[in-house]
Amino acid sequence: MAFDIDNYTSTSTSVAWADLDFDEFKTHPLPEATLRSLRYMCDVEYHTVCYLRDLLVTPSHKEADVSAFMTMWNREEFWHGEALAAVLGAHGVIVDFDELKSSRVKLGWKDRLDPIKQSLLGNIIGKDFIAVHMIWGAANEWSAVAAYNRLADLEKHPVLAELLRRIAKQEARHVAFYATQARERLAKSRKAQVLARFALKNAWGPVGSSIMDPAEVTHVMGHIFSGQEGLREIRKLDEHISRMPGLDGLTIVETSMAKYGVAA
Amino acid sequence: MPDHHEASVDIMRFPAPDFDVREFARQAAGSHRDKLHLESYRQAPLSADILRILRYMQMVERATMTHLRSVLVTATHKDARITAFLTTWAFEKYWIADALEQIQLAHQPVGTDVDRAPFTTPAERTIRESIVANIVGGPMIAVHMALGTVDQWLTVAAYRCISALAGHAQLSATITTIVSLKERQLEFFEPQARYRLTESKQARRIARRRLAKTPWPIGAKAEPASETRFFFDRLFVPARALVAELDARIDTLPGQSGLSLIRKAARL
Repeated sequence: MAFDIDNYTSTSTSVAWADLDFDEFKTHPLPEATLRSLRYMCDVEYHTVCYLRDLLVTPSHKEADVSAFMTMWNREEFWHGEALAAVLGAHGVIVDFDELKSSRVKLGWKDRLDPIKQSLLGNIIGKDFIAVHMIWGAANEWSAVAAYNRLADLEKHPVLAELLRRIAKQEARHVAFYATQARERLAKSRKAQVLARFALKNAWGPVGSSIMDPAEVTHVMGHIFSGQEGLREIRKLDEHISRMPGLDGLTIVETSMAKYGVAA
Repeated sequence: MPDHHEASVDIMRFPAPDFDVREFARQAAGSHRDKLHLESYRQAPLSADILRILRYMQMVERATMTHLRSVLVTATHKDARITAFLTTWAFEKYWIADALEQIQLAHQPVGTDVDRAPFTTPAERTIRESIVANIVGGPMIAVHMALGTVDQWLTVAAYRCISALAGHAQLSATITTIVSLKERQLEFFEPQARYRLTESKQARRIARRRLAKTPWPIGAKAEPASETRFFFDRLFVPARALVAELDARIDTLPGQSGLSLIRKAARL
């Protein structure tokens, strides 16, 4: 199914939460473990602009549709960060721009070299590299949808659940874009399939694991994806990915969750 | 006050104290399609020259992502306040480009498809940019803010010239909206640039070199030189006083006097 970029851009909005009763958090505050997970998700959402950078240094952005999508996607994710920051704020946890900055500064040289590496790879490999970004994005967005919905189910907090489902709904539109792009590009090129398989197998990790402390990754992934129910979700994610052209048999999500000690 | 290096740029917490980035993000202007009144162009079409310039402006606005790329590969991307701003800025620019495209399409037979051609962007420059800018570090933020400021000044002036030249009420109304968005964006770029340039000698020096080397307007590289030529010939060559005024404004940026950027760009 084709992805209608005009429809997507013209209906892209910042996620709304003004209509939700945040006073509910005063009477029914969220537990510490949930706030910790939300903090992680909030940071990762704000960090999207850094992923955007990695995408931009490759030939991906030269295509008008991809560029249009990235503009909207980056903004929607920023607003997810703002929405989650508002929930944290209602619990006295202040997420401010200066603090986000210092966590980006901490990433140091690895972070500085990333765009160079991406740029070199992307420009040497050319168009097929776009396919890698697209399947990577799809895997991340699928994970995000699953994580938000699952946290909504687990927490059963009326206000939080509603907000998380709104966010998940937007993430699902991102999935549609990335998955459509990935499927088309992988189907067209054997080389793209080989590259994507290699990249996912060797370098993919749970969303946020490249920027957050491993202890935080373990907490969040364990919080959201442990147990039998969680495992079912994890396997669903792997199924989505392995149904892509040339990616059959990949179990990257289950493997990486195990690496972070997430137990069924 | 000592000149600052990367670490000490951190102390510049609020270089644009009156600008609330979160509020800017909240008030971001999206699609203009409902207010373009495209039927007015069917009744009173724009001239081929104006359409050619509007196409150029569209391409330049659309080149945002390319510019954003060279900004994000530097230390600038670490500043969450600036990236929050740029995120919204890119969104507004996307819709400005879209409005310009819709106006052009209103001059085509109904059902003409939009231009989906890939952008032209030299890749090797990004790698060099990334390496150099990361060695420079924090002062690059000042350079990017200065580039942004000059570009906003130039394009705002260009839009006003287009409006006067076209003498088309609906186009002028749309341009008024575009200019007001750009002026709001300037409220961020300009104080950021002034403050950061004042704080760092290195930033002033690099900005000077960068501003002189930049093909104006930002995004010009996405188009053949003939189109940039046409843009300056039509809008700025006949307006020497405006060119002088813009250059005088650039002179007021700390350490950037005497560059005559716009006069040189217009080949005057």
